[in-house]
Amino acid sequence: MPLLLQLERRPGALRPQILEALAAHGRPLRWAITEAAADSSGVVRLQVEAVVLA
Amino acid sequence: MSALLPSPGAAAVGSPLPTLLVVPTGIGCSIGGYAGDALPAARLLAAASGCLITHPNVMNGASLYWSDPRIHYVEGSSLDRFAAGELALRPVRRQRIGLLLDAGLDPELRQRHLQVADGCRATLGLEIGPVVTTDEPLQVSLSLGASGASWGELGRPEALLRAGRQLKAAGATAIAVVVRFPDDPDSDALAAYRQGSGVDALAGAEAVISHLLSLELGLPCAHAPALSPLPIDPRLDPRAAGEELGYTFLACVLVGLSRAPDLIRRPMDGAVDGGTPAIGARPTDLVVDNLGAIVAPATALGGAAVLACAERGIPVIAVDNPCMLAVSAAALDLEVIPAASYGEAAGLLLALREGISPAALRRPLAALQAPAP
Repeated sequence: MPLLLQLERRPGALRPQILEALAAHGRPLRWAITEAAADSSGVVRLQVEAVVLA
Repeated sequence: MSALLPSPGAAAVGSPLPTLLVVPTGIGCSIGGYAGDALPAARLLAAASGCLITHPNVMNGASLYWSDPRIHYVEGSSLDRFAAGELALRPVRRQRIGLLLDAGLDPELRQRHLQVADGCRATLGLEIGPVVTTDEPLQVSLSLGASGASWGELGRPEALLRAGRQLKAAGATAIAVVVRFPDDPDSDALAAYRQGSGVDALAGAEAVISHLLSLELGLPCAHAPALSPLPIDPRLDPRAAGEELGYTFLACVLVGLSRAPDLIRRPMDGAVDGGTPAIGARPTDLVVDNLGAIVAPATALGGAAVLACAERGIPVIAVDNPCMLAVSAAALDLEVIPAASYGEAAGLLLALREGISPAALRRPLAALQAPAP
């Protein structure tokens, strides 16, 4: 199964935030944001699916 | 075509506008989610832009393919690295394609693939060889992510890399890899895919295989799954038909790789891998700084290439191409140029190429606001 991450979007460019989160799990081979939605407080929550090399 | 392309801002009006086309694999895109069925769109966008960079999922139609010197065939992870500024693309006249076969292939399938390679040598004049077989079966497994997108894994990635390194050492400049995939002829998912309503269950694992090889070896790579032939389905969707014309999916991969650009690491890339040593780009190389636009499905904008381009301010053309994701420009707070179809996207590329503001083609056109003195 692919790695599944839930992230809270921070200000600034999105890609470095995702790469930083993935780096904790290994070297990313393939990834994509597969869900993005704002919660009731306006915070955008991202779901990322990925395959990483451990 | 000339790859000597200045940045869009400095280029002459009408000169080629290098454009990335991305149709993510394994998410059931209405156009491009099947057997190379985004190829007509790619041909149109290549004509409109004069220079299109796209990936195997767009171009591979199993037994069907199209070769266009304006289209550059770049495997997905290399395309992401190109968009991130880590790689330049160097057009070549031809590649010497090493053929990497999974030891898990049964003898008849192995023979079929060797005959396809021979056919491409004899009939198309491609340079193919050497052939290397992995020292153990690669053991592919397929999976679906939480979103329903297809993914997959290799049981023996090191065996893949060992064979890839052997090919590179033997002089291959590109690698076509054939891996035995699990047959599942009676599954509901396969039936849905063949009838045009499902996700390509193989695509995610295919991408992982080619990404791994390309990332580690620094060579153009693409993958063809090896499967037993399916029984005829009278309800076959035309978009899936390309995969039912022959015994293998290899011909399109060999044609695509035969003129795939070399991958040149740019000096900014500090990664330590097996790729070509970092050297400066030549004026004839394609680099992200030359890119004039990226075209992607409007609800699948959360991939590495789109985000990298958006960071650089490269126009993102978001095309209505339904898929199972809902990752839109609004959800990611990206600025995009919407297009209702690939036909409209082609018109927008032509406008950008001619220096016409896309906003001028839409109504209402808001008046300029001047701040109070």
